[in-house]
Amino acid sequence: MDPFVDLMQGFAAALTPKYLLVCFVGVLLGQIVGVLPGIGPSAAIALLLPLTYNSDPTAAIIMFAGVYYGAQYGGTLTSVLISVPGESSTVMTTVDGYQMALQGRGGVALGIAAIGSFIAGTLGTLGLMLLAPPLAKAALAFGPPEYFALVVLGLTALAAVGSSVMKGLTTGVAGLLLGTIGIDPQNGIARFDYGQIWLLDGVEFIVLTVALFGVGEVLASCTLGVLRPIVNIGSPFPTREDWRASRMPILRGSIIGFLIGVLPAAGATIASFISYIVEKRCAKDPSRFGRGAIEGVAGPESSNNAASAGAMVPMFALGVPGSGTTAVMLGALIMFGLRPGPEMFVQNSGLVWAVIASMYIGNVLLLIMNLPLAGVFARLLKVPYYWLYPPILALCVAGVYSQDNSIQDCWLLVAFGALGWMMKRYDWPAAPMILGLVLGPLFEENLRRAMDMSHGSGLIFVSRPISSLLLAAALLTLTVPALLAFLRDRRALAQA
Amino acid sequence: MQGRPAPGEVGLASIFAIVGVVWIAGAARMTIWDGGFAPDSGFLPLIYGILLTALSAITVVSLFWGDAAADAGAIAKPLLVLAAVLVAVIGLSVAGFGIAIFLMLLFLYAVVEKLPVVRSLLAAAGTTAVLYVVFKTWLGVPLPIGPLGI
Repeated sequence: MDPFVDLMQGFAAALTPKYLLVCFVGVLLGQIVGVLPGIGPSAAIALLLPLTYNSDPTAAIIMFAGVYYGAQYGGTLTSVLISVPGESSTVMTTVDGYQMALQGRGGVALGIAAIGSFIAGTLGTLGLMLLAPPLAKAALAFGPPEYFALVVLGLTALAAVGSSVMKGLTTGVAGLLLGTIGIDPQNGIARFDYGQIWLLDGVEFIVLTVALFGVGEVLASCTLGVLRPIVNIGSPFPTREDWRASRMPILRGSIIGFLIGVLPAAGATIASFISYIVEKRCAKDPSRFGRGAIEGVAGPESSNNAASAGAMVPMFALGVPGSGTTAVMLGALIMFGLRPGPEMFVQNSGLVWAVIASMYIGNVLLLIMNLPLAGVFARLLKVPYYWLYPPILALCVAGVYSQDNSIQDCWLLVAFGALGWMMKRYDWPAAPMILGLVLGPLFEENLRRAMDMSHGSGLIFVSRPISSLLLAAALLTLTVPALLAFLRDRRALAQA
Repeated sequence: MQGRPAPGEVGLASIFAIVGVVWIAGAARMTIWDGGFAPDSGFLPLIYGILLTALSAITVVSLFWGDAAADAGAIAKPLLVLAAVLVAVIGLSVAGFGIAIFLMLLFLYAVVEKLPVVRSLLAAAGTTAVLYVVFKTWLGVPLPIGPLGI
C-alpha cells in the first residue's frame, strides 16, 4: 500500500481523543523526565510498563514514543539553563546553549532548539515513513539464518556504543544467559530453575528493566547534590538574524541525525556530537563556538530529535533497536505479544502507522509546549531530587509486584537493582542486558531452525548473502571502535 | 600494568564471571547435542557461560592494564536506600503493601534525607495513598494485605 494512504489511516487513529490524550501524556512525561535529574526516558518507560501491562498496545507504544522524543526536548532545558545535560544526547547543547543563557539569550537558545527539534522531528518522521516500509518489505524474505544474524548485529551494535565494547558485550551475554532461565520452549526441559516454581517462567522483562533502569538509576543518583542556580530565560522567540544563522544547521542536523539514528544502536548522542563537529567545520568563524554560537545549539538539537525518529526505523522494520530506549520499547512490543520486525508492517500495520502519525502530532504538541511554556518547565529544575526518588522506588516495587502478583519478583527487583547500581556506578551499559534477555529466545529459536535447515552445518550463516552481510556488519561494529581506540592511543603516545 | 582498578568494579566483573561458571556447571548436566541437526537445551547456556566467564576475565585484566580508576561516589547512602527497599519487600508479606511502603517512604524522607517530620509524614502518606488507589482501585491489583487491612 502507498505509505501516504497508510499514514492517513494512522492519522485517523492517532487523532481519536484516546490516542491524542496518551500522546500528550507521553510527550509531557518525556519533557518532565528530560528536565528532572536522575531519571531518563528508559527509566520512565520502564516505570510505565507495569501500568500499561494488559492495556491497548497502540496506546502504550504511542505514549512510550512520546516519552522518548519528548525527553530530547526536556534535556535541552537543563543543558541551556544550568549547564547540566538532562540526557547524554544534549551534552553538546550545553557548550553553546549555556553560554547563550549567561549572555541573557537562554530563551532564544531554547526557542531555536524547540523549532529545530520540531523541524528535525517532522523530517525524521517523514524519513521513517518512507524508509521503514521498503526495508521491512525487503526483510520479509529473511529466514532463520538472517534473523539469527540480525540478533547478533543488534546485540553487538548496542554493546559497542558504550564506553567499553568489552563491558557492553559482557552485559549483553549476561542478558542472553538470563534468557535461558525457565522452560526450554523447544523440548519443555526446565533450565536453571533450581527447583523454584516461580522461576519456570524465567526472568520477566519488566522486572529486569525496572530494576536496572529504575532502582539502579535511583541508587546511583540519590547522592546528587543541589543544582546550580538557574539563569534568566528571556524571550524564547529567535530574531530574523538568529533564524538566518540556524536554518542550514537545522537542515544539516536533521539529515545527519536521521541517517545516524537509522544505524543500529548509533543513536542520538553520536548524532549530536557529529552535528556539532560539522557545524563548527562549516562555520565562517569557528572561534565563536563554545562562546554562545546559536549554530552550536540548532545543529545538535535538530540531530538528536531526528535520530530519535531514525532509531525507530530498525526497531519497526527489522526488530533491532536503534538505541537503549528503543531496546526497552522493543521489549515492550514483545511483552504485548507482538513481534517487532518486518512482519509488523503486515500484521500490525495499524499500530505502526498510528505511532508514526502520533509522532507528527507529538512534535506539534512539543513545539506548542516549549515556546511559550519553557519558563514553566524550568521551574521543575528547582524540585530537589530527594523529594523525587522515594516515590520512584515505591512505584518500582508496586509496579513489579503488580505484573504477576509475585513477591519473588520483588526479590529479583532488589537483587537486579543492586546490580544495576553497580553497573551504573562503573559505567557498564544496561541496555545490552535488557536486549539480551528480550532477544535470547528469538536467538535460540532461529539458531535451531537454521541448523535444522542446513542439516547441522554452521556454514548456512555465511553462505547466504544477507546473513553473511549482517554478520560482517556485526563484526565491524566490534572491530571498528577497537581499531579507532588503538589508533587514538598510538597518536597520543606519539605526541607525548 | 598502569594502575589499580576500583575494587568495586573488579567485584562486579567477578560476579559476572561466577555466574558464567555456574551456567557452565548447570549446562554440563544437560544434553548439549543429542545427535540431531540442532543443538539441545544445554548448548547455548554452555556457550553463554563460557563467553560470560571469558569476557568478564578479559574485562578484569583490561581494568588492571588501564588507567587507575577511583572508586568514585559515596556508597553509604545508596546502601541505606537499598536496605530500605529490601526491608519494604520483606514487609510486603508481613505488614501489607500500605504499611510497608509508607514506612519505607517515611524512613527515606525523615531518616535518610533528614527532612522535617511533618512534611515527611505527609509526603509518605500521600505517595502511598496515590499508589494504593492507582494499583488497587484503578488497575485491580490484589496488593498484599497486612493486619490493618491495607
